[in-house]
Amino acid sequence: MTVFNFYIFDRNGTCLYYAEWNRKKQSGISKEEEFKLMYGMIFSIKSFVNRISPTDMKDGFMNFKTTKYKLHFFETQSGLKFIMNTDLNVGSVKETLQLIYSSIYVEYVVKNPLCYLDQPITSELFKAKLDDFVRGLPIFPTSVS
Amino acid sequence: MRILLRVKIIFRIKSVVLLLQRGVNMATMADEVLFEFLHMELVSHIYRTASKDEKDHCISKLESLGFRVGQSLIERFTKETSRFKDELDTMKFMCKEFWNAIYKKQVDNLRTNHQGVYVLQDNRFKFLTQLSNGKQYMEAAPKYLAFPCGLIRGALSNLGINCIVTADVSAMPACKFQIQIQRV
Repeated sequence: MTVFNFYIFDRNGTCLYYAEWNRKKQSGISKEEEFKLMYGMIFSIKSFVNRISPTDMKDGFMNFKTTKYKLHFFETQSGLKFIMNTDLNVGSVKETLQLIYSSIYVEYVVKNPLCYLDQPITSELFKAKLDDFVRGLPIFPTSVS
Repeated sequence: MRILLRVKIIFRIKSVVLLLQRGVNMATMADEVLFEFLHMELVSHIYRTASKDEKDHCISKLESLGFRVGQSLIERFTKETSRFKDELDTMKFMCKEFWNAIYKKQVDNLRTNHQGVYVLQDNRFKFLTQLSNGKQYMEAAPKYLAFPCGLIRGALSNLGINCIVTADVSAMPACKFQIQIQRV
């Protein structure tokens, strides 16, 4: 099991933070383009899922799989979007993403008066804490060939 | 009309119960966060509203705000304590009780040269723990320490000790407060 990369988007589609760990293949476009593409797709999937669902849903879109990876999605009430790509063996990481939000984002970004909430995160402390946290996850250690 | 009213009341009671169930640990958390956020806003407000030539006064403004708060706080905290034996006893009170009441922890290290200089060292100072754990944002540290400095000065002044309090940071989130007692 392994974690490939991780995005945080705000309500307006700005990419606040991006980190990657075991990503073997790059997208071949600039990071800004990739963020736009990612946000656009998430936005579309969300509205697609909501429209097509036969009954009312509680959580809405949570993850999708391809033959190579699984994308996990978590959105807070305030519209922050946490996206994590992992390999296929990983189960639900909803709690993990929630924990990243409540104990890392809130703690080191919201409570840091020098971090502006609508701009990409520059805090080294946040970066370090997140990196430590993800590396310590049980789903992180083994890399797939 | 009456039925509507009743429904409303029932709904209200329900939501209160729900809030209470959820709120026990949220409430204990909220009071600390309230102070933190208010302090953050206080600092940014003072800096935002200051004009170009007033910028130098921001620190002293924050400090005097802290001074006034410290004065009132110590009045409350010492309501039930017996009189302090000497200066060192007062300082110990500051390190334990005073710090605990405001920052929910004690000062990690207290040092003195027995000639009126005391150094209070806090290895994880509350206002700095979220900022950084090294040199980043170092230039912003002073504005978040002015209020706490005033807090100490105000508290001591109300206990009859006149002093100058300065803060010193070499690597966040550790911080040293130096208290220099003014003798007349």
